[in-house]
Amino acid sequence: MALSTATKAATDALSVNRAPTTVGPQEVHKWMQSFNWDFKNNRTKYPTKYHMANDTKEQFKIIAKEYARMESVKDERQFGTLLDGMTRLNAGNRVHPRWGETMKVASNFLEVGEYNAIAAAAMLWDSASSAEQKNGYLAQVLDEIRHTHQCGFVNYYFAKHYHDPAGHNDARRSRAIGPLWKGMKRVFADGFISGDAVECSINLQLVGEACFTNPLIVAITEWAAANGDEVTPTVFLSIETDELRHMANGYQTVVSIANDPAAQKYMNSDLNNAFWTQQKYFTPVLGMLFEYGSKFKVEPWVKTWNRWVYEDWGGIWIGRLGKYGVQSPASLRDAKQDAYWAHHDLALLAYAMWPTGFFRLSLPDAEDMAWFEANYPGWYDHYGKIYEEWKALGCEDPASGFIPLQWMIDKGHDIYIDRVSQVPFCPSLAKCSGSLRVHELNGQKHSFSDEWGERMWLTEPERYECQSVFEQYAGRELSDVIVEGHGVRADGKTLIAQPHVRGDKLWTVDDLKRANCKFADPLDKF
Amino acid sequence: MTTNANEYNAGIMQKNGKDFADEFFAEENQVCKESNTVVLVLMKSDEIDAVVEEMLLKNGKAENPTMVVEDRSGYWWIKANGKIEIDVEEAAEMLGKRYSIYDFLVNVSSTIGRAYTLGEKFTITSELMGLDRKLTNV
Repeated sequence: MALSTATKAATDALSVNRAPTTVGPQEVHKWMQSFNWDFKNNRTKYPTKYHMANDTKEQFKIIAKEYARMESVKDERQFGTLLDGMTRLNAGNRVHPRWGETMKVASNFLEVGEYNAIAAAAMLWDSASSAEQKNGYLAQVLDEIRHTHQCGFVNYYFAKHYHDPAGHNDARRSRAIGPLWKGMKRVFADGFISGDAVECSINLQLVGEACFTNPLIVAITEWAAANGDEVTPTVFLSIETDELRHMANGYQTVVSIANDPAAQKYMNSDLNNAFWTQQKYFTPVLGMLFEYGSKFKVEPWVKTWNRWVYEDWGGIWIGRLGKYGVQSPASLRDAKQDAYWAHHDLALLAYAMWPTGFFRLSLPDAEDMAWFEANYPGWYDHYGKIYEEWKALGCEDPASGFIPLQWMIDKGHDIYIDRVSQVPFCPSLAKCSGSLRVHELNGQKHSFSDEWGERMWLTEPERYECQSVFEQYAGRELSDVIVEGHGVRADGKTLIAQPHVRGDKLWTVDDLKRANCKFADPLDKF
Repeated sequence: MTTNANEYNAGIMQKNGKDFADEFFAEENQVCKESNTVVLVLMKSDEIDAVVEEMLLKNGKAENPTMVVEDRSGYWWIKANGKIEIDVEEAAEMLGKRYSIYDFLVNVSSTIGRAYTLGEKFTITSELMGLDRKLTNV
């Protein structure tokens, strides 16, 4: 039978150039680039005001086979370490109790961030027009699924092996009453997946991942190890091995819009908003977790922030992009003020509102106080004396019936929730940047703690409608709210949250009821 | 006192208390400043420890004296001016086993700078790949 023209052509070509019997993954990656195409109009479900060029790259030249093999090796190493050697070493129970509580917050919150990043990366996969960039985003979707599992596994592992599982086992059930949850969802959910696709990329990849994952996922491992926790470094450093590709995705997003006139118009505002959004939450929360949630200190949080945020992210990412029109965030000065003081402000409020948490907090002891004063001159006179007064009033002892939140109300130190970031602040005690601002729209009052969030709200007020815990529960008695919001342990009476990390003298619902503390919305005064 | 500006605790990081605060809040430090450095974070493992000790701390430092390597408990923190390159074929030979660029990426925890692979070579550079110059393919 005669050969078809096409078959003959293929046979002739192969006789001259034999097909390779092996091919390297990067050669496959190069070949796949020929599948790119040029869009006249990008038919994405998630439009952007920027035009994304279609010649941007995926810097690590990942193909499915090598990606899958690489990730399976990561998982084998991580789970092998945890389920074998670490279990024999009783690693989950060698963690200092303060740090065990810190990880209730860190791993639960990061899990939510990773979960939302799945959607964010998928959205960017749809928005991008460069085939290589789509390849990078697609790998990121798979990475984020892996990270969500990993964070869940940290909680599972601690729930199984750590001596106080409450809070590791089912933190999410208390999300309605915990003030920190809402701010976390603002940065980790809304910031990543709502609005313009490229703006979301700037939030997620250029700021969230390239900047704040370094303290959140890398530096945290040093604090963990110093406090007896080898579980977290094993998992978190493995998570971070995917983040470098995500940072590259974010960088390539910037490259893709660098020559777009819209970038000159919008880029710096979007970057400043993203930086402020992310830092407003991460700066105080990470500082509080590291310094107040540890026994053994690695270095002052402000130094960690200075290294990873200001010098390295600010210099190596933002500074280097200066010649392409990227400017230093206008809010940097205020962010630096926050890096020094905001975590102390937040720690004070978190302790004052301790029953609303899903973790145990402890008062700074004499050693902590000396460390704080040495590293943050003026700390003792401002914060230390308040902690001493609360301790003298019996804040740790369930027999005292004393809740620091009541002290705040009685002394006129009203606690507001910033509408945009959802971060609590107390204008009469805060040393962080900003000041109280109140606006009214359609009969509803809104409080703000800084001009940057206020500007964002004035631009898009419909975007920031989340109720604060004080609006939600105004007039309600605290113990009723805690019971309703699932803040009790399996015995139905002991609180998940505690104002100390000892095993005895645990507060119950009845102890809390005796304090007769009621929620009040300070905005009612306006 | 450290002499290499890239040391983990160089410059302002050596200061404490009020001295640190004075420099941190100084007017000239209220904007981002361009940096020509790169940072590489390698998760400790059998292979990575050997790469650090046998390659980066030897030829790597000889070729780029600005490079510093810090032991930060679970990871190695590496900072240098310009770029850091790791030839994974050389690592495989040193390790005496099959070890590809993708095996190396298993333990690369973070990068500050523009990181990319080209064949069996890993590079992190302060150059703006795709803007200053095109990214190279095999």
